[in-house]
Amino acid sequence: MSEDKAGRLGRFWSIVIAAVIIYGICKWGIPLVSRKLTGLPFALSVPGTLMVFYMTLMTAALFIYISFSEERFQQFLAPIIKLLTGGFGAAPKILVLIAVPLFCGYQVYDSVVPKVSSPSAIRIQHPSSNFPKEFETLTNPLKEPKDEEVAKFIEQAKTGNVEFIAQLAPEIEKVKGDPDGVLGAFPTDAMQAFLKELKGGNPSKETARKALIDKRTMEGRALYEMNCRPCHGDSTGGDGPMADGFRLKPINFTDNGTLETIVEGYAFWRITNGGRGLPNEATPWDSAMPVWKLDIPEDWRYKIMMGEYDLAQKTARQPEKAEGPEKGKEGEKK
Amino acid sequence: MKKIFSMLFLLLAAFCLPLSSAYAGDKPTKPKLAKSPEAVAKGKVIYFKRCSFCHGLKGDGDGPVAHQLFPRPRDFTKGLYKFRTTNSGELPTDENLFRTVSNGLPGSAMQAFDIDQVKSGLSEEERWQVIYYIETFYPDFQNPDFDPSKQIAKVPAVVASSADSIAKGKKLFLENKCWECHGKSGKGNGPNSPRLKDKFRADPTNPANLTRPWRFRAGSTAQDILNRFNTGINGMPMPSFVDSVTEADRWHLANYVVSLQMKPLNTDSVLRSKLVKGELSLNPEDPSWSKVEGIDVRMTGQVIWRPRWENPSIDAVTVKSIYNDKEIAFKFTWDDRTKDIVHQQALEYQVPKDYVGYASWEDVPRKAGNFRDSVAIQFPIKSYEGTKKPHFLRGDGANPVNLWVWKSDLEELKQPSAENDIATGPDSGLKAQDAASQTILGKGVYLKGKPLDDEEVDLGTWSVVMKRPLTTKNKNDVQFTQGKFIPFSLDAWDGANGEQGLMMAVSTWNNVILEAPVPNSVYIYTILGIVLVGCLEVVIVRKLKK
Repeated sequence: MSEDKAGRLGRFWSIVIAAVIIYGICKWGIPLVSRKLTGLPFALSVPGTLMVFYMTLMTAALFIYISFSEERFQQFLAPIIKLLTGGFGAAPKILVLIAVPLFCGYQVYDSVVPKVSSPSAIRIQHPSSNFPKEFETLTNPLKEPKDEEVAKFIEQAKTGNVEFIAQLAPEIEKVKGDPDGVLGAFPTDAMQAFLKELKGGNPSKETARKALIDKRTMEGRALYEMNCRPCHGDSTGGDGPMADGFRLKPINFTDNGTLETIVEGYAFWRITNGGRGLPNEATPWDSAMPVWKLDIPEDWRYKIMMGEYDLAQKTARQPEKAEGPEKGKEGEKK
Repeated sequence: MKKIFSMLFLLLAAFCLPLSSAYAGDKPTKPKLAKSPEAVAKGKVIYFKRCSFCHGLKGDGDGPVAHQLFPRPRDFTKGLYKFRTTNSGELPTDENLFRTVSNGLPGSAMQAFDIDQVKSGLSEEERWQVIYYIETFYPDFQNPDFDPSKQIAKVPAVVASSADSIAKGKKLFLENKCWECHGKSGKGNGPNSPRLKDKFRADPTNPANLTRPWRFRAGSTAQDILNRFNTGINGMPMPSFVDSVTEADRWHLANYVVSLQMKPLNTDSVLRSKLVKGELSLNPEDPSWSKVEGIDVRMTGQVIWRPRWENPSIDAVTVKSIYNDKEIAFKFTWDDRTKDIVHQQALEYQVPKDYVGYASWEDVPRKAGNFRDSVAIQFPIKSYEGTKKPHFLRGDGANPVNLWVWKSDLEELKQPSAENDIATGPDSGLKAQDAASQTILGKGVYLKGKPLDDEEVDLGTWSVVMKRPLTTKNKNDVQFTQGKFIPFSLDAWDGANGEQGLMMAVSTWNNVILEAPVPNSVYIYTILGIVLVGCLEVVIVRKLKK
């Protein structure tokens, strides 16, 4: 290497400015770019230990750079030596000599003084350690009505006496006098198609089955809105009026990482056993999820699941078709 | 060099553009969908799937969910809409309804349906469709004589907030008798407030607590508040002030109301208990408490175990704590419109054997003079490894909890007002410990002051202190030691809201830590550090001189 031009700023200040710029990029530049790349509403800051790693790398690289030749090293040290031998005057020298030990003292104090921050707990959202095996392949029986159920439904519809859950009784009273009766209050395609065929006198099994599913989904939505909405929100966004007061937030079912990653049996198990039924790694003591098996019969729970998946516009994960007994994980590949 | 710099600058600027995000939410971004029978038919399907369980298949606000909500869902058949930009007594515009459907009404069960806020929400087109369907429930929407777009209330020229404007607003608040409902402290505890009823079903209604802006239904900016003065709230006791208050004065009043709003809550989960010298004061109004930092514990309805209650009136309790070498004290402050000091056990809610749903506010005699006001702080009894704890709702048999319960009726009767209880699960109730274990002292004061003029009035706030020795011999008591995280949670009851038993406001677990004084070793290390670096400097400077 022949000449080593120090540049207009001088070797010392160029190094310092380079260090500041690199620090700035790590501390603020990376989070800013990460936010744009991920589209999340917040920035991903660089973790503390990684910052230490980057700064160590930077220091090592800069040191190698300035000590590359004796001349460069001397250029770098020149301003420091000038300051410490009084070249800039007595006042700056004394100021720096006092400030540096005080700054170091503050760093020592900051690292040894006891600080208080909330104890954090790592929590497993979908624990499987106590997930019963029989639930892995469970499907919602109400979602696929059997022929006898469909036939019963057709009979009830013909006489205008379709059975609904008790909570809907007052609403049924208000609409049963309408021209098409109770089912006429359902403006959905499935029910309207069934009503048309019913008037013709001979509704097909398939149309009736779709109408029965539609009716159960409607009951499920009503039960969901009565029991689950206060926490999970009326649109299943985990934003119900009660949600904000719980540190462990109610699940947002519209999020891609929730309903679509678990089989139906898992959702049924969670609803049934609630927060208290969770294993310790999922912090049951913080969970507000009620133990619904104490209050809600099974078929209401199945209907709620139909309503919930409908409102969230999600479908459940399909269980794996296993050759032998699985090892406790919900539908995961071996 | 300049070229490189300017290029870098432009690049950085370009980066910044997509980083800013703002969505209109309450205003449509696309042209309004045309009203048509097809739109109404599509709206009917959306209404059936997303609205009918609260608002009813017939739009009468009486769907299966309605009984458990307070305030109740809107009855569309009466044509009385609360939040508009139109004159008092008039219909809302389509755009007013668009805002309500998009943003919801915070503080009520009506939530946001804007698809930008909730992934399963409604697109703009769907929102217009359901609005056009909802309008079919009240025939006047179809009558051009009642066209709301011809009834927009004029918004007077903005008067920005200033100390002067706020002072004028304060005088107007007094003169126009806003305090008769909203209270002189603005906490909704005015002398008229217990008697107010709505025009929908003559249900009782509470005037807004003006200090808690996050519960304002249709926004809490000065502009939003001014809209309420312009339009009144149809069907409710809140009138329009267009005829009684001049244009500029309405802005002054709005600026004053904004000045009453609380700072955002400090929801840190760690409460630091400060070590103090001397006796711990049991008096909540003692000035020593004002020097201590507290946290605001968020409260929510007890919807975990029946009877489930989703209408709590207490949404946050501020907690502070101090301790000395013998005792520890906690101070609790919360807003409560009425001072309830009588408890009638016979009127307590009997949980039905068969579960039908949440408790309705109509199931409990919801009136002042039936149930006490109360607050309780709950601790785990045992010491646990790691972060394990009893369940925050009263623990269970294997993991019991210790509660200190303050009762307003006992305070009023000048009896010991803090009780030392134990609970072993939500169904066990609060069991008072034996007489020898009643070591908790309590004192509660329903604060008074002169917030508006010279009249001393109730501020609508309870302030309670409870204290106890740091350690006791009772094995069912929580024991306090320095420097350790001790979990705590709160339960709170507002008697006039029908709250008793498990119908209450709850919080989840937070932590309290008794701050240990800074150990001497910290100072020693610091001084050592300074001296060492100083010596190093002397050596370097000496060497350079040579």
